[in-house]
Amino acid sequence: MNKTLTKAEIVDAIYEQVDMNRAEIKSHVESLLEIMKESIKKDHALLISGFGKFEAYDKKARKGRNPQTSKSITLPPRKVVVFRLSRKFRSELNGNSE
Amino acid sequence: MNKSELIKTLAEQKELHTDDAAKIVNAFIDSIKDSLKTGERVEIRGFGSFKLKEYEGYTGRNPKTGEVVDVHPKKLPFFRPGKELKEYLNK
Repeated sequence: MNKTLTKAEIVDAIYEQVDMNRAEIKSHVESLLEIMKESIKKDHALLISGFGKFEAYDKKARKGRNPQTSKSITLPPRKVVVFRLSRKFRSELNGNSE
Repeated sequence: MNKSELIKTLAEQKELHTDDAAKIVNAFIDSIKDSLKTGERVEIRGFGSFKLKEYEGYTGRNPKTGEVVDVHPKKLPFFRPGKELKEYLNK
């Protein structure tokens, strides 16, 4: 199984680059994530150049089925988020071969 | 919102110098990008996770001209929103 980057390791990576203690950085990262979430909700989009774009869009209500009981249910309308990667990051991931 | 607005908002909220807020945001994004580049998974509790998917190359056709084209193998990150983010959006 591959290694996983977690929030704690992101804090460590930032710690190497900024002159602040880990607790401060952790608090800033939590705030940053909150701001990102609010932005996705409010603006329906968050654009991070060189990385990608988070987009929220509305899904209509649809009929579904509980696969266990095979009862029909109506799934309520909801918002979903997708990530679209930037061209720059895409070519970085693919060795500029495109 | 874009990256510079993200930096500005963080700086205002946490009373940081814009340069420091920029360093934090950039280091945050770079650490995620670097991990994905090495094929590592990224998991940010409450927000979501990223996983790299590898697609094999194939011979395709340009649907307009019918021309045969080689589609190269590619790696694309896939984002799965976390439970908290999904609930927050639908609240």
